[in-house]
Amino acid sequence: MQEMSTVKKSIFCAICIALCYVLPMVFHAIGAGSVFLPMHIPVFICALVCGWQYGLLCGIAGPALSSVLTGMPPVAVLPGMMVELCVYGLAAGLVMKLVHTKHTYADLYISLIIGIVCGRVVAGAVNALIFARGTYSLAIWASSYLLTSWPGTVILLVFVPSIVFALMKAHIIPERYPSDEEEEEA
Amino acid sequence: MNMAVSTQYIPADSILHRLDARAKFFGFLVLVAAVILSDTLWGYALTFAALALLIRLSGLPVAAAVQTVRRMSVFFVVIFIMNVLFFDSEGAIWSWWIFSVSLDGIQTGANVVLRLMLILVLSNLLILTTPPMELMSGIEALLSPLRVLHLPVETGAMILSVAVQFIPTLIEETDTIKKAQIARGARLESRKLRERATAMLPLLVPVFLSAFKRADELSAAMEARGYRDAKNRTRKKNLPMRSADWLALASCAAVCAAEIFI
Repeated sequence: MQEMSTVKKSIFCAICIALCYVLPMVFHAIGAGSVFLPMHIPVFICALVCGWQYGLLCGIAGPALSSVLTGMPPVAVLPGMMVELCVYGLAAGLVMKLVHTKHTYADLYISLIIGIVCGRVVAGAVNALIFARGTYSLAIWASSYLLTSWPGTVILLVFVPSIVFALMKAHIIPERYPSDEEEEEA
Repeated sequence: MNMAVSTQYIPADSILHRLDARAKFFGFLVLVAAVILSDTLWGYALTFAALALLIRLSGLPVAAAVQTVRRMSVFFVVIFIMNVLFFDSEGAIWSWWIFSVSLDGIQTGANVVLRLMLILVLSNLLILTTPPMELMSGIEALLSPLRVLHLPVETGAMILSVAVQFIPTLIEETDTIKKAQIARGARLESRKLRERATAMLPLLVPVFLSAFKRADELSAAMEARGYRDAKNRTRKKNLPMRSADWLALASCAAVCAAEIFI
């Protein structure tokens, strides 16, 4: 697989951080902000396309920038959300680097699912131990991360691999497993 | 464009506008700490007085400074009611089933809501009086101690500044794509969750494709002009902090210190 330059990865990461601000605005405008988890999509795409370092940065900077510029998410919710999103970026990026099944979609889904599970478990643990100590329970975790957010999880599972695949097919990012013809062209 | 940015910089020539962004950002963090520390009536009175003075110094209308609070009023009511009804306390005034109302619950609810409101107004003031790029330089200054750990602070700051510069372009482009897809029959505003979710695909894929295409062009242009890393770049403007900036920071620190002793 052809490696992207650091400059290109940095600019892609910047775009994903900007999308962490823009997408929630679009989703909120049509009344689907809190259900469809729009800020999670660019973080996963950044991690899968650019790597874990950039995914981690996008997970921290995306919600922080949105909170600083618009007040949403509110400062009270921000630390928990930052932890969740940065674990998404870190875990998805790391797994994408380590897993090579020879099938792009399989790699994307494995990374995505492991990222989602890690992010939600760590966010629950951090909430229980630090941000909402004493008032957080397994029932609250299950209702907020499994029940309320299931449409957002479905959106993530459907959209993120499709968008990464579309970016590869449009030759904006290099193919993960290029065919011989494409390698010759490159 | 109907997707207006909810809170944006308002250019003016007030004392607050003229302050260095780094001083404003550090001052904001110190005042957030002061808000968190305040839990008595005198403590809140001091924070309110400081906030009223800041609004006056910003030269902005009060309505602009508190617009986010007004928009989130329902959220505040819900937070207050949740705290009042579910606060676990022995001295309940009224209780039924899982609900119990106590003075402690009312006090905790009021504390949480007041602190959230004050922090929101503070962040609003910071955003309304500081251009986004200057705000980014303030964040870069805040991150600069991380250089000791050999973290690429300059690259992080460059990424943030590019992200901020891209926001208006992306908002406009997303709005155009949204309108185009609605014209083609996408049911983005349907009441059914499934229809709305299905309509997202023709919106999200073009948004990401066009955004990444722009990023690809920008990175190619940067590399063609010899850009390699952010570490060795010099700044166009690198002004030192003036005495007014130091005075503003000292005043914020004094408010925070007073909150500790009240």
